[in-house]
Amino acid sequence: MRAQFVLFDGFDPLDVVAPFEVLTAGAAFLGGGLDVELVSAEGPRTVVSGTPGISLTATAALDPGAPGYVVVPGATGPTEGDPDEGAETIPVLLARFAGSAAAPLLRRALADPAVTVATVCGGSLALAMAGLIEGRHANTHVLGFDMLEATGVHAVRARVVDDGDLISAGGVTSGLDLALHLLERDFGPQIAHAVEQLFEYERRGTVWTRAGRTPVLV
Amino acid sequence: MSIAGVWHLRMKTPIGTIDAEYRFTESDAGLTGTASGAGEDVVLENVVADGDRVTWTQRITKPLRLNLAYDVTVTGDRLTGHSRAGRLPRSQVTGRFLKHGIGSGDELTR
Repeated sequence: MRAQFVLFDGFDPLDVVAPFEVLTAGAAFLGGGLDVELVSAEGPRTVVSGTPGISLTATAALDPGAPGYVVVPGATGPTEGDPDEGAETIPVLLARFAGSAAAPLLRRALADPAVTVATVCGGSLALAMAGLIEGRHANTHVLGFDMLEATGVHAVRARVVDDGDLISAGGVTSGLDLALHLLERDFGPQIAHAVEQLFEYERRGTVWTRAGRTPVLV
Repeated sequence: MSIAGVWHLRMKTPIGTIDAEYRFTESDAGLTGTASGAGEDVVLENVVADGDRVTWTQRITKPLRLNLAYDVTVTGDRLTGHSRAGRLPRSQVTGRFLKHGIGSGDELTR
């Protein structure tokens, strides 16, 4: 199976690199069978991130029908500023991505039962802006939480929210937890544990899933 | 003062100011409205007038998917107020009366 990380202009590098390295290490411990790659909706190209000085190279076009994971990062840029005066704030960058050629591809990926769409940080907000995850459960960076809710998504404050074939994480560093959750869920705890040991990192918090009892209001 | 007629509204969103044309109609069934902008037509929901103050909710998908709640006050050929997307901070809304609705002669002033 494939893990395709979707790059777009202004993406947050850590949203990509952290889970990319976790899945790459997981693939090594698996002895193969998981191909991790950087893609873009437009095909192979150099994609400029939102962090000055960092660009990454997409080596292929996003294939929404490839079984595996499609990972959508968030954006980084100013949180203040008036878009009417040209400020390329994070919501502006995410909305641009949501309105790009990526949207119909991501719609197909979400509709494909063989594909799990995973988001880090503002990635879920971009999907939400495009109207692709209305009524689903998801999280995003704390700064985008209220906006995610305003798009009709059931927003959940958990480090990782597992809504079946849509798995979303909170802000930036939660991408580590997201990728470790994917490894544990689909390949077992020993693979996830091996990567945790190698990276000297332990996850935190409870992964929210649509299972079990629901809490009553107290 | 009734909001019935066609209005041009400007409102701020997190991705910039958007413009839309609103059409409010008063009938026996009450006050209804539609909004046209960014390539889509949306029927307004829960339209309630209380004197000069009018509130409604609206579900837009373009330029981005948002649930919006409006609260405006009509003063002559202008309206002012705010819209709110979920729990996001309020953003300012201003409107200018364009013409009366169909059946009122489409006059350009009121």
